[in-house]
Amino acid sequence: MSVPILKQGDVLIASIQAALSDRELAQLHDAFADQVGRFRSRGVIIDVTALDVLDSFATRTLRSIAYTAKLRGANAVVVGIQPDVAFAMVQLGLSLEGVATALDLEEGLAYIRDVAKRGSHRVR
Amino acid sequence: MADEIQQAASKALMREMGLDEANIERRKKIVGFEASDVPRIAAIRDLVTQHTDDYVTTFFNHLSGLDDARSLIASRAIAERARQLKREHLVAMVQGEYGMKYVEQRIELGTLYAKAGLDARVFLGAFHQLLKHIGSAVMKQVDRKPLDGFESFMSLKKIAFFDIGLIVDVLVFERERVIRQQQESIRELSTPVLQIRERLLLLPIIGVIDTQRARLITESLLRSIRANRAKVVVMDITGVATIDSKVSNHLLQTVTAARLMGAHVIVTGLSAEVAQSLVALGIELSKLNTVGDLQGGLEEAERILGYRVLTTATDAGPAPEGS
Repeated sequence: MSVPILKQGDVLIASIQAALSDRELAQLHDAFADQVGRFRSRGVIIDVTALDVLDSFATRTLRSIAYTAKLRGANAVVVGIQPDVAFAMVQLGLSLEGVATALDLEEGLAYIRDVAKRGSHRVR
Repeated sequence: MADEIQQAASKALMREMGLDEANIERRKKIVGFEASDVPRIAAIRDLVTQHTDDYVTTFFNHLSGLDDARSLIASRAIAERARQLKREHLVAMVQGEYGMKYVEQRIELGTLYAKAGLDARVFLGAFHQLLKHIGSAVMKQVDRKPLDGFESFMSLKKIAFFDIGLIVDVLVFERERVIRQQQESIRELSTPVLQIRERLLLLPIIGVIDTQRARLITESLLRSIRANRAKVVVMDITGVATIDSKVSNHLLQTVTAARLMGAHVIVTGLSAEVAQSLVALGIELSKLNTVGDLQGGLEEAERILGYRVLTTATDAGPAPEGS
């Protein structure tokens, strides 16, 4: 099952609803890399609310998506990491170093709006 | 009425200790009790039931001679009840029925001992005296067939050890109950997460942080972040006396986990000694956002959240905070 990427204004949103295989994660990565440029997005939100586990490959892919988006000119934010997942991740030494995180989708959108208002030199 | 309440309590305790039919059967197996023991015990039934009072007196005389048992003997009400239960015990011991009902009676007596603060070793001493008396009485009566008498007594002794197992378990369980309750209350007291403004949490940490506690602190913080939709957390470690690499690692984990949930953590209250020892140990805390004291931390948090605190007095008073 591939994850649909929704376009909401100049923000791309992907909500992951079930545990993904490594191949599906790679597909998601490619899709984001492509669409960020195509739609000239300034924000990318990955919603992991429904996931009850994030392994090392998923973490690395999320980080990689964020870095790629950054290089293509969009800020990425991972939203909805559950308390248990967060705890398990630090126990396993997995961290989303350098990737913005937010409590939920609403917060994620607010974050992207904030960043755009504060520092971005892009012409709106 | 009091008996009924006591019986209900014993039943509840049995459930808590997991004493069901299967467990009782296992316990019988442990002491090696078999069906063939029942007739052997029946052979000395009359001997025991006729002299119950003597044996009970032996048991309690032995206890009253011991300083360690004073708490049981001193209270008349408890001592009377214990005597009565002991009498019932001796009668029940030779009836050949050792099911739930029998265990329930043992539990009740064990609870009484636990309430009186009787130690297992003291109980064992007195119980041994009691068995010795029964044993010598048995041997006296069956002097023509000493082997039969010995066999009967050994069968009874299996039940005696079955009883000892139960009583000691009750004593240990009751003692551990106190420890469990204390641990529970320490746990609840030790990890408060307080909301002090909309979307701002305060996490005061006091005392020693070990792995177990760090885990609890992290879990309750993460849950509170979710419940209160917190954006900033001020973690105050003024009350943490020493910080070594292990503790700092725990703190870092908590901060990282909170960040994964989208909350920003400000650490405050690192004393001069703590800061120096951290530098001396070469512990990397650069990932942490630290502010000197709690006040500074709260001001920083309010700044991040966009709060401005103003005094209501226009002409006098201190300058407004955070301006």
